[in-house]
Amino acid sequence: MRLTDVERGDSPWHRALIRMISRVSGMRLPDAARVAFYDRGFAGPSLGEWTQKTMRGPSAWSVSERELMAACVAAWNSCPFCVGAHGAIAVRGLDREVLERTLADHTTAPIPARLRAALTFIEKMTREPEALAAPDVEAARRAGVDGDALRDAAAVAAVFNVITRYANALDFAIPTEAEFEKSAGMLLRRGYS
Amino acid sequence: MSRDIIRTHGEHAQRLRDAVTGSGILDERLRRGALEAGPDGDPLAEPYGALVRQIREDSSRVTDAQVRAVREAAGSEKAAFELVFAAAAEAGLRRWDAAVRAMTEAGDATD
Repeated sequence: MRLTDVERGDSPWHRALIRMISRVSGMRLPDAARVAFYDRGFAGPSLGEWTQKTMRGPSAWSVSERELMAACVAAWNSCPFCVGAHGAIAVRGLDREVLERTLADHTTAPIPARLRAALTFIEKMTREPEALAAPDVEAARRAGVDGDALRDAAAVAAVFNVITRYANALDFAIPTEAEFEKSAGMLLRRGYS
Repeated sequence: MSRDIIRTHGEHAQRLRDAVTGSGILDERLRRGALEAGPDGDPLAEPYGALVRQIREDSSRVTDAQVRAVREAAGSEKAAFELVFAAAAEAGLRRWDAAVRAMTEAGDATD
């Protein structure tokens, strides 16, 4: 973590809370949670609310599918923290092999055609947003991704194109696999806002 | 049902944009500049411009020196954090806008 103020907390209450959660959970509180506590008067809560709707609100996509999408966006943005964190949640609802093969190449992974089409759309949205156009939407539609589902997938890509960038820029510490697993449980229970 | 869930994605995107430009301790011109410039916009003055570009183009290559320089120029860690966040928000929101444009062109009603 490049900013020690973010790591520690910006008020005595938040510093105490970070220490207490770390002690009770038996692991260092991940940097993503420290960011969520930090500078609450700024834009973090707005992003947290959008992320909560996107990842846990009603959707045609399951929670695991949305976490898989997030892990893919993280891979495309070279963010090992987010790949680990969201992959660990995704595998609560799908096979680890599916996660790994999708991260390696979603075009050949053993996933439903509509999920593959959504991932194709959000990969282009991540890598070449200026080239995204109606034919890309139509291709997703032909694969069974309706407007609401495509908007939900695009929202996952939007929020994780934000989150992965600040995770990288702040140089988040990478938890162990066991810590990612423990955090996955907390994120499933608590959500993002 | 909580308000987070009821608001549309479009409303959430606008709330995020408004929060970056309308709150925070970093000079508003820098927050706005990081959020609104984009790859074709006017670059921010250095050292802010270098960090914003790096976050936009490849955040995995951001360096300690880039963040330290912004921390020193901005005067506090909180201000540096807000610049990082604003640059990251620009990247996500620009992509959201691109998706909405494509969906609108394809005749999908947007939210």
